[in-house]
Amino acid sequence: MNGKTPGDTAKPIAGLGPHGERAVPADQIQLTEGDAVEAKARRFAVAVVLHTTTSDWSKQELAGIAATLGLYSAAVVEVVDCNFDVELQIAALTRLAREPVDAVISIPIGNTRVAAAHRALAHSGRKLVLLDNAPTGMLPGADYASVVSTDNFGLGQSCAAMLSDHIPPNGAAGILGYGIDFFATHEREIAFRKWMGIHRPDVTLVRERFAELEDAGPAALAMAEKTRGLSGIFAVWDVPAMRAVRALAQQGFDIPVTTVDLGNDVALDMARHGMIKGVGAQMPYDQGSAAARVTVAALLGLSVPPWVALAGREVTPLDVVEAYQVIWHLPAPRAIIDAMRILVATQGHSK
Amino acid sequence: MAEKKTALRSVGRPRSVDTAQASLALLLNLVRTGTATTRQELERGSELGRAVVADRLATMIDLGLLKEGELGQATGGRAPRQMRFREDAGSLLVSAIDQSSIALGIADLNGQMLVEHHEAARLDAGPEAILERLATIFDWLLKETEKPAPWGMGLALAGPIEKPSAEFEAVHVLQSVQSWQGFPFLERLSMRIGVPIFARSGVQTMTMGEAKAGGGRGLSDIIYVKLGRSISAGLMSEGRLHRGAQGAAGMIGHSRVGDDLLGAIAGADALAREGTAAAEDGRSPYLAQALARQGEISVVDIGHAAQLGDLFCVELLGRCGRMVGEALAPLTNLVNPTLIIIGGIVAESGGDSLLAGIREAVYRQSHPMVSRDLQIMRSQMGASAGLVGAAQVVVEELFSPSILQGWIGHGSPLLHPDFQRVMERYTTTLAPKAATPSGRTAP
Repeated sequence: MNGKTPGDTAKPIAGLGPHGERAVPADQIQLTEGDAVEAKARRFAVAVVLHTTTSDWSKQELAGIAATLGLYSAAVVEVVDCNFDVELQIAALTRLAREPVDAVISIPIGNTRVAAAHRALAHSGRKLVLLDNAPTGMLPGADYASVVSTDNFGLGQSCAAMLSDHIPPNGAAGILGYGIDFFATHEREIAFRKWMGIHRPDVTLVRERFAELEDAGPAALAMAEKTRGLSGIFAVWDVPAMRAVRALAQQGFDIPVTTVDLGNDVALDMARHGMIKGVGAQMPYDQGSAAARVTVAALLGLSVPPWVALAGREVTPLDVVEAYQVIWHLPAPRAIIDAMRILVATQGHSK
Repeated sequence: MAEKKTALRSVGRPRSVDTAQASLALLLNLVRTGTATTRQELERGSELGRAVVADRLATMIDLGLLKEGELGQATGGRAPRQMRFREDAGSLLVSAIDQSSIALGIADLNGQMLVEHHEAARLDAGPEAILERLATIFDWLLKETEKPAPWGMGLALAGPIEKPSAEFEAVHVLQSVQSWQGFPFLERLSMRIGVPIFARSGVQTMTMGEAKAGGGRGLSDIIYVKLGRSISAGLMSEGRLHRGAQGAAGMIGHSRVGDDLLGAIAGADALAREGTAAAEDGRSPYLAQALARQGEISVVDIGHAAQLGDLFCVELLGRCGRMVGEALAPLTNLVNPTLIIIGGIVAESGGDSLLAGIREAVYRQSHPMVSRDLQIMRSQMGASAGLVGAAQVVVEELFSPSILQGWIGHGSPLLHPDFQRVMERYTTTLAPKAATPSGRTAP
């Protein structure tokens, strides 16, 4: 037995932590029965601060956090939606540092700009568990308990490997990058480029950036129009990827795209065998659950690793329905199932 | 007419930037370190006259090194305008190259980290591969994060680094690794990136990093011990890093414990060997499972097993800690530190068992006065300590009076005549072999 469940295609952790730490896999963070008894008796109060609460990722992350904290009788007493606003996050953390919460789980949204507010919260005596990244300069132990993150480096590598199959020798591939200083998308892009440099040095890489989501479509189009024979595009997450797909389709382009996260639109596009050819997906429910276990461990005074990581899962058009179930802990939506059925039927006829 | 008068007055008089490097450097460092920021404080701190101070400040504002900041505290009369150092006039590149990973970052001119990235890499991949990787990631990071142009680079490398014969001169690095022997790494990297490089051993930059931003912040006497595949120590005494005559201070892994070298019996590889043996002969059930699952045992597995209560691993880490403590105790008695910080992969994995072993040996063998307030803690900075320390190294070098006076009149260390001469020489001697820029920013 290697401890893996059937159909589990999770990959080993490729990246290093925010301070170069080796990853501790999330499934190694377990609480004993004794820990659970103590946690239940202490009835911890936890607040969650997210960049947004409306995305699929956020909803699942919250579900994982709430369900797991509930197992230990820890209450989620507040969920803050920062709406991608740095100032809102700073204000929320400043307020929480004075309120009766034992711990805060937060996703920093502006690197160094939100470091001081996070640090002040931790120094007020609340346990701080970060999602995805630690702002530059913040230290584990002193400024936060732990970072719980997906292996973004691994996701970038997966997307490169999946896109590579669609790029002919000496072809060109495009990167649709995020023009904002954000650790997770940086790591994905660095990893994508590194993989291509090592395994496909023949491929010419071109790049366009977008700072706002509405610019992602035009950026992808500009890339396709400027680079004749562009054979594939890597978009750093699913929402801009779908903006790119729509913009390209409108102008008659059909270019293979890989991206990160299995959002509903991306899953539907894959099921229809559209432009999206591969996805490196985060497991937000599992990440939320791991963050909750780390939080309880830290609140009990147990030593927690500074960087806890979860591997991503590769998704192809062939296993999009099963992957959907694993990633979202839900059956795939009807539209996706129907699209797959139509495709299978069409293929059956053509045989 | 007025212009003509000024021109006439200036005839034959050298500009202040040509003659006043010493006073410019002195004033810049007073402002930069926050020692004196108003004109009055600067006059007092530098013992220069009002007109000279005014002239030098105007020069440095023109050069883009200083700017006028907010109003300071009034001491009767008008509130004085404070001078500010422009930490964004340039940027500093920093990197730490270890046996199995590389770390890179960009800092401002005060040494404050702005961005960092860590990734796995193998030293034995050779210097060409590492050099190209560093250069491409730096190209990308600078472009991506839109940071100011770099002024210098701090580099931390495994093993001791010899002191250079003169300012800006390169030294050989990593000569103990076969594929690196004879390779002009610093020269080639300096040519590729176009900035002066200041190299130190990894343990020395980590010591400086811990003193600047880690557990040693605000302390002047600390020892940092790196427990990795090799074992070494860095010493900060009375606020200054002790480098030693050749720059090789701190090689405590070469201390003997019985018949063996400390590094050979308490390093990460030695622990992994012992762990593998215990997995194979059944002394550690947890490690036996890990070996069956992964095919190999690392110190990370040993640390995890100890946390889960595996008795063999608890005992192994405790013994490792005691051996390290035995080597540290004489050093502790010699320098009387306030704090000993333990870092490196063994420390990150070793947990409380390791720390308890070190404490036991150090406290037992130290003079009571030496151990009275001595604290021993695990590093919280990880590999970031090396980057923060490397940034400190560049700050100290670029703004040391001797180097600063050479470039301050030009506004940037890249225009320092000695650095330019060194670059010209590299161009002549290394150009045929120099790596050509890749032409694409592909980290």
